[in-house]
Amino acid sequence: MELMSPFYELAGLVYQPGFMRRSAAALFFLTLTASAVGVLVVNRRMAFFPDAVGHSVFVGVALALILNIGIQPTVLFLGLIIGLLIIFLSRHGKLAPDTVIGLTFSGAVALGLALVSREPQATAGLTKFFLGDVLTVTDGQVLSLGFLTLLSIIFLLFLTNRLTLASIVPRVKAGTELAEYLFGAFLSVVVMLAVQAVGVLLVTALLVAPAATGRVLASSFKAMFLSAVVCGVIAGQAGLWASSQPSINTSVGATVVLANVFLFGLAVVFRRFRPDRG
Amino acid sequence: MTCITLDRVGVTLGRFKVLSEVTAQIPAGRQTVIIGPNGAGKSTLIQTILGQWPHTGTITFDPAVPRFGYVPQRLDFDRHMPLLVREFLALGISQRPLWLGLGPKVADRVFQGLEQVQAEYLVNKPMGSLSGGETQRVLLAAAMMTEPDVVVLDEPTTGVDISGEQLLCEILDSFKNNRTIVMVSHDLATAKAHGDWVICLNHRVVAQGRPEDIFKPAVLAATFGIHWGLEAQTGEGRSWEAPWNS
Repeated sequence: MELMSPFYELAGLVYQPGFMRRSAAALFFLTLTASAVGVLVVNRRMAFFPDAVGHSVFVGVALALILNIGIQPTVLFLGLIIGLLIIFLSRHGKLAPDTVIGLTFSGAVALGLALVSREPQATAGLTKFFLGDVLTVTDGQVLSLGFLTLLSIIFLLFLTNRLTLASIVPRVKAGTELAEYLFGAFLSVVVMLAVQAVGVLLVTALLVAPAATGRVLASSFKAMFLSAVVCGVIAGQAGLWASSQPSINTSVGATVVLANVFLFGLAVVFRRFRPDRG
Repeated sequence: MTCITLDRVGVTLGRFKVLSEVTAQIPAGRQTVIIGPNGAGKSTLIQTILGQWPHTGTITFDPAVPRFGYVPQRLDFDRHMPLLVREFLALGISQRPLWLGLGPKVADRVFQGLEQVQAEYLVNKPMGSLSGGETQRVLLAAAMMTEPDVVVLDEPTTGVDISGEQLLCEILDSFKNNRTIVMVSHDLATAKAHGDWVICLNHRVVAQGRPEDIFKPAVLAATFGIHWGLEAQTGEGRSWEAPWNS
């Protein structure tokens, strides 16, 4: 865990308890990754992809309990399958991506509810996925999130330009099959890890809100990307700090998302009154 | 000299035979314009040349593996997406991700590419703010920056005003001695004024030849189906001698 000690020491400037330091480090990695990947999600008009993948958690938890297998790997695996299914149907079906996402979302929720209604004990397992639980994160999970952040940087180094070009020039789409599936798979993993931090109800905001703020503030891709990442990380840490204040004392996931929405609102006001922008 | 030779090329998409027995020659270093009515298979033909559709028959190239630059009819993107012209052009020539900014060499190439199409003043403009003519010139710059042997344009003057169209055609004229240009167009006046070779397509080649041979009522009637009963047979499948072969 020595790898994480610089992050823990930095968090130690604000927080004394170990669980708060781990939460701060986990949120740093998660918000950095989610807001960076979220830029591609927003620019590719896939804002509801995280919702559809996130809701597959119902199926994952119920299946894991029915089959008596580990919840974590089952949930991750099912999220991956749903994400790849959406990419496949969007590429090969005759339906627009929003229709495919809507159908997959409904199907995942319906199957999850059907399974949960058959196995009532699954309801208990679902609770932590509804609202997320970043405060109980372990050292191992923080390390995993750090590794995910490293992977996302490598992924974005190689695929940002290709995926952006494919979303603009129709002909280029033909040569980007592998990149699209890689993106779908990677995004699904990010979503399923984010679900555990902020909950399935708020996961979309963690990916989409920082990118939306960046988009409001910026006129270039580079500026949008950098502002999204900065806003996402700031909102994550501000949300954690605010939720830990006795006078506020709210759920971390919800407070992080509220901080993101607050920054988005500020960006809209800033843009509205900035003289050089319409 | 012939750059692209199509010999009895056929394309079937689903159950629909879009192209049938298409035999045509596209001259090197000239501007070839493909004309025909809506749904005639013009875009499918250029996409087939670009290798996007499986086909019957043969397509041969000289050079054997040409480098293509493609200018699409439109861009399928959200016009509010923050993307500067220089960033868009860098997407096609740079591996460095946009979020790290443009390197100095790429920035120079982008500026030179825009200079070629008289659009250097657009370098820092958002893509979504461009007019139809400006967008087409930026797309042409993107195609030219890959140093292609063949530039393929799909209806480049659609949605472009008269002055923008004139400028685009002049720029294409200035390129054509060094590059082979293949263009699909609905605009017969543009095809007549700027094309060196015209292919009339209606699922198959109705006629091909120099503009002065093609732009005659009988050939156009056979291609577009106007006064079909009176003159349709006159231009059926007719090919004039290719001047670059004589």
